[in-house]
Amino acid sequence: MPASQLFFVIGKGGVGKTTVAAAIARGAAERGRRALLVETAADGRLAQLFGTRDLGVEPRRLAARIAAVRVEPRQLVEAYFTRLLRVPMLVRRLLASTSFNALTTAAPGVTEFLLLERVLDWVAPAGLLARQTYDLVIVDGPATGHALTLLRTPRNLASMVPGGPIGSTARRLLALFGDATRTRAVLVTIPEDLAVNETLEAHAALVDDLAMRVERTILNRVFPRRFSRIDIAALAGADGEPGPLLAAAQFQIAARRGAERHLGRLRRSLGTTPLVLPNIFTEGLTTTQLDSAARRVCTALLA
Amino acid sequence: MKEARVTHPSHSFLRKRLLVCVGTGGVGKTTVAAALGVAAALQRRRTAVITFDPARRLKDALGLTRLTTEPHPVPLGSSSPGMESLDAMALDTKRVFDAVVRRFAPTPAVAEQILANRLYQQLSNELGGSAEYMAMEKLHELLHHAHYQLVVVDTPPSSHARELLAAPTRLGELLASRAVNFLKSPASLLSGSGGVARLTLAAVLKVLERWTGLSLLQDLAGFVEGFESMIAGFQTRADEVAKLLRAPSTGFVLVTTPEPDAVATVIELHRELRESGFRVSGVVANRVVAFPHRRNVDAEAALWPARLQRKLLANYADLETLSRRDRRTLSALHDATGLPLLAAVPMLREPPQSLAALQRFASYLE
Repeated sequence: MPASQLFFVIGKGGVGKTTVAAAIARGAAERGRRALLVETAADGRLAQLFGTRDLGVEPRRLAARIAAVRVEPRQLVEAYFTRLLRVPMLVRRLLASTSFNALTTAAPGVTEFLLLERVLDWVAPAGLLARQTYDLVIVDGPATGHALTLLRTPRNLASMVPGGPIGSTARRLLALFGDATRTRAVLVTIPEDLAVNETLEAHAALVDDLAMRVERTILNRVFPRRFSRIDIAALAGADGEPGPLLAAAQFQIAARRGAERHLGRLRRSLGTTPLVLPNIFTEGLTTTQLDSAARRVCTALLA
Repeated sequence: MKEARVTHPSHSFLRKRLLVCVGTGGVGKTTVAAALGVAAALQRRRTAVITFDPARRLKDALGLTRLTTEPHPVPLGSSSPGMESLDAMALDTKRVFDAVVRRFAPTPAVAEQILANRLYQQLSNELGGSAEYMAMEKLHELLHHAHYQLVVVDTPPSSHARELLAAPTRLGELLASRAVNFLKSPASLLSGSGGVARLTLAAVLKVLERWTGLSLLQDLAGFVEGFESMIAGFQTRADEVAKLLRAPSTGFVLVTTPEPDAVATVIELHRELRESGFRVSGVVANRVVAFPHRRNVDAEAALWPARLQRKLLANYADLETLSRRDRRTLSALHDATGLPLLAAVPMLREPPQSLAALQRFASYLE
């Protein structure tokens, strides 16, 4: 049985990370693989996307071969210190303390490590009787800056804390991240300056600094090419104040042009053509649209 | 695109002394803050805009070519007649925090001791919304010492107002005796729980030390020593800032786009703000698609060849759907919060890159 895969879906807030993560899960499920979606945002929309109630802190089935779980920093810290202190009352006192919370916030890497420790448990469960429950673990988010911090954590901890269980887990994570056959980053972006700038910087950080495998970037919310060059020339010939139809056409043409400009910039900087996902012109994301996105994304990402 | 009108609205929210723009990242909050400043300056109010990390082009538009610790006059030029002065600055929170430490420390030596302390270096970035607190620090100074009639504050991209709102009090609290006592004597945290507790706490602290690679207890002692001497000043200032945020002359402006994520955040933000007793002036919606339903587009369509007609009508239908979606989202936002929509700024071809473009943007803020 092939070893399980780990995907990190990374991008600015609001670019469609959750949609892409869900699309990967659907694509995997369609290929007979079991996927686990890990939601890192406190206000994530994974549950909504699959039409179920909220996600829990333990994996819960969303659809055939698709499970999902929410990770929450506070709950991770609580679980960790409960294991450590073993006296619930003490743990409660500790967690209620402003100073303790300030300290754990200030201590870099605590929540990141605990999050990754859980992820590692799902991807590569250790122990003699461990069973591989999932073929694919897909981490949705967090937003780019935090994602990079998260991915740097194993290396930082492995050097700062070489010994003991923390050190050994850090080294296991480091090995997993560096294994291109198992771990991949997927960058999602939209045709906007800030988003594209951030994506290019993240790409460089992932490849040059972290030596991680990065898939083709996904450019989401791209307006379709509705008007041909001839059409555009014809429309440009109109005089006077544009009526609503013409104004709408100008809007669409400008949006498409902008998207093409960003696409070109990404292609030139990254050396690969981004995968394009279309802008949606319906009230919400339908199942058909999600499946269509899943097909596009997974043909590129999954064998 | 429609030609923008440059009007001179006199709306109550522009008559405040302090406007705080809150909202999630990526909604154009900084642009809105700058545009609010422009709108107020057009109403002949002496205004300052404090921003965090503005995009390069906005920096250019505002003339913020280098980071400063004080607001800089925005070069107005001849294209902006009738505009009262507008000053702007981009806030570098670390430098502001350092400046505050230097101001409140009893001696330069103590200041340097604090600034060099490794724990301080960690904490000054992480501690209880220090970026937000520092923004408040700065504006307090500006309002009291620099005679601005209005200060507009952009906030760092964070999805929780809690950090911002709790910042003055939390910082004060943390530096107040209760927390400081903990730092001086960690066992006091679990006082009353006996020897077992003290031992386990020692274990906890050892774990934290291993995480951070810091000799925590040592660093804490040094940190506390320095900070204790600054507490009184900090606490007073924190109280003043907390009062300022709740004053009737302060208004919070929620900035959002019609994206469901941004709107959900704003609804939550509003709840937190209201619960904490802050006054929310309203919502500014940015990047709104606005192509309303038109019944008589056929006359216009007929002007074009058949092939183009189909495309034009299909395109309009698509954009109408987007517009409906946006309208519905903003309507749901209004229902959930009861807040007035102060402005619905349309999606522009590109973000404002010049002062003139900012003025056009500002014309929508009414």
